[in-house]
Amino acid sequence: MSSLIIDKVAKQFAGRTVLNDISLTLAPGEFLSLLGPSGCGKTTLLRIIAGFERADQGSVRLGDLDIGQLPANRRNIGMVFQAYSLFPNMTATENVRFGLRVRKVNVTEQQRRAAEMLELVGLAEHAGKYPHQLSGGQQQRVALARALAIQPALLLLDEPLSALDAQVRVQLREEIRRIQRETGITTVFVTHDQEEALSISDRVAVMYQGDLVQVGAPAEIYQDPAHDFVARFIGVSSVLAGQVVDSENGTILVNRMRLPASNARGIGRDENVQVYLRPEHVQLSVLNGTPQPEHTLVGTVQERVFLGATTRLTVQLDNGERLLADIPTGQIAELDIGCRVHAGWDLDAARVLVDRAS
Amino acid sequence: MMNRQSSSWGRLVVLSLVGLYFLLPLVATGVFSFWEGGDRYGLRAYVSLVHQDELWESLWLSLRLALETIVVTLVILVPAVFWMHLKAKSFKPLFDFVSILPFVVPPIALVAGLTALYTGPAWFVGTSNFLIVPYVILALPYTYRALDVGMSSLDLKTLTEASQSLGGGWGTLFFRVLIPNLTSALAGAALLTIAIVMGEFTFANVLLFNTFAVYINYIGQTSATEAAALTLLSFLMTWLAMLGVLVTGRGQATLGGAR
Repeated sequence: MSSLIIDKVAKQFAGRTVLNDISLTLAPGEFLSLLGPSGCGKTTLLRIIAGFERADQGSVRLGDLDIGQLPANRRNIGMVFQAYSLFPNMTATENVRFGLRVRKVNVTEQQRRAAEMLELVGLAEHAGKYPHQLSGGQQQRVALARALAIQPALLLLDEPLSALDAQVRVQLREEIRRIQRETGITTVFVTHDQEEALSISDRVAVMYQGDLVQVGAPAEIYQDPAHDFVARFIGVSSVLAGQVVDSENGTILVNRMRLPASNARGIGRDENVQVYLRPEHVQLSVLNGTPQPEHTLVGTVQERVFLGATTRLTVQLDNGERLLADIPTGQIAELDIGCRVHAGWDLDAARVLVDRAS
Repeated sequence: MMNRQSSSWGRLVVLSLVGLYFLLPLVATGVFSFWEGGDRYGLRAYVSLVHQDELWESLWLSLRLALETIVVTLVILVPAVFWMHLKAKSFKPLFDFVSILPFVVPPIALVAGLTALYTGPAWFVGTSNFLIVPYVILALPYTYRALDVGMSSLDLKTLTEASQSLGGGWGTLFFRVLIPNLTSALAGAALLTIAIVMGEFTFANVLLFNTFAVYINYIGQTSATEAAALTLLSFLMTWLAMLGVLVTGRGQATLGGAR
C-alpha cells in the first residue's frame, strides 16, 4: 500500500488551463473518486498520475518515490480504462498474465496469480475465453484482474463503468469496492456519475474547470458543499437569493424575511448569498387561514412528480423563485397543484454560500 | 413479385456477361496452351517450360524480390502508420495522398527519376536488389491501405496505454500486441505485394533484369503456346494471392466488441 501525493500540478493544452495547481494526498489504502463534469480535468489528472501526460509543473509522489519523470511503464500503476482495453489476440488468462510476463515472473507463478485474480473477479470459468466472447462487464472485470495481477502500488480507474448498462454498473461498482477493500490497494476512481462516486468512495474530490473545488467524505460533500458548483452538481438543490444581515449571529434576508442561518456566520454583512436547500429538508403546510409559521415563505404548488416513497413538489414562491420539496407520498393528499402553502426548512440544513455572480 | 423476378433475372444476365468477359480469354488461353499443332492437344508446352532453367531463375528472382519488398515495406510502413494513427491523426490526409502517388506517376518516369537519384553503392544499384526501391513504391497504395484499415479497427491508443501501464515497453507493444492483432492486415499487405511484384514488367525490363514478368514477355515472342501456359500459371499465382487476401481479411481482430 502506498500513499499518493499530488503537489501543485498544473497543465495547459494549447494555452488553455486544464489543471490549475492541483494538490491532493491519498492515504495508503484509500479509495478516492475524482468527480466532475466532462472537461473539468479529472481524466487529465489521472493520465498525469499514470504517466500518459506530463504536468507542466508540480510533482506526483507515490510512496517515497517522485514518479513525475518516470515513463508510464516504470510506475507500477495498474489502470482500468473507459474503453474496452483487453488485448484481442489473448484469452482472459493471457491478458491477466501479460504484465507478469513483462516482469519475467516464472510461468508457474504467472498461472497461479492469473487464476487467483480471475477467481477474485468471479471469472474463473471464463479464463480461456477471448475478449469478443465476453460481455462488456466481464471484459472490464478481466481488465481489473489484469491491473491487479501486477500488484501495483496504485490502481487507477478511468470511468470503467461508463460503457456498461445501468444494472451491471451498479453490480460492478460494488464489486470494485469489495475487491479494493480485500486487496487494500490505494485507488483513484474517475467518474462523472455522482451516485457512483458517493456510494463507493472513502473520499470524493470534486473538480470544476481545472480546479479542485472540494475534497471530503461523501456525506460531507453532499451535506456541506463548500462551493456553489458542488452544491449545484451534487444531488438536487433549490437555490434562493439572500443577503447577510447579521454576520456575527448568522442571519440572512430571504424573500424579505429574516432567517437564522448558522453557516452564514463569517460571511460579510450585506454580502449577497445563495441559499441551497435539499428537497428532503423542505416542509410544506397548507395555507388555510392559519397564521404563517415562523421562518416560512409562501408559495403555490406547481408540479407533483411521483418518485415512489416520496413525491417531489415544485413550489413557486411569491417572489417568483422555485423551491423543491420531497414529501412522503402518504402525506401529500392535501397538497394539490395550485394549492397555497407555507414552505419552511430545517434551518441548520440550509447551506449559505457567497453569490459569486454578484 | 414480377418486378423482383425480372430484376433477379437481369442481375443473372449481367453477372453471366461479366463472367464470360473474364473467363472466355482465360479458357481460350488455356485451350491454346494445350495446342500442339494441327488437331493435337497435350502438355508439351508445360513440359517444355518446366525444363527451362531460365524460367526457374526468373521465378525465384521475382519471389526473392517480392519477399524483400515485403520486409522493407513492412519495416517502413508498420511503425509509420502506427505512429500516424497514435500521435498524428492530422497527418492522415498527407499519408493518403502520398500513398496514391504511384498511381499518378508513370512507371517510366519513376524509373528514370530513381536511376538519376541512386548512383551507388554498386552492390545495390548494380544488382537486382535495386528493384526493391520501385517495388516498395509500387506496392505502397495497397500495403498502406491494408495497414491503415487494420490499424483503424484497433483502439491503438487504449491498447498502447494498457500495455504501458502493465510495464510493457515499445518492443513488447509491437511484438506481443500490435503485430499479433494485425496478422490479417499484414498478410493482406504481403500477398498484395507478391501479386504486384510477380506481375511487374516495366521497371525490370528497363533496368534489364530478367524477372518472371520479363521472362513471360520473352517467351511470348519466341513460343506462343508456352507463353499461354506461362500466362495461365502467372494468373494462377496472382489469383491464389488474392484469394489469400480475402481469406485472411476475414480474421481481422477488433477491439472490444462485447458479446
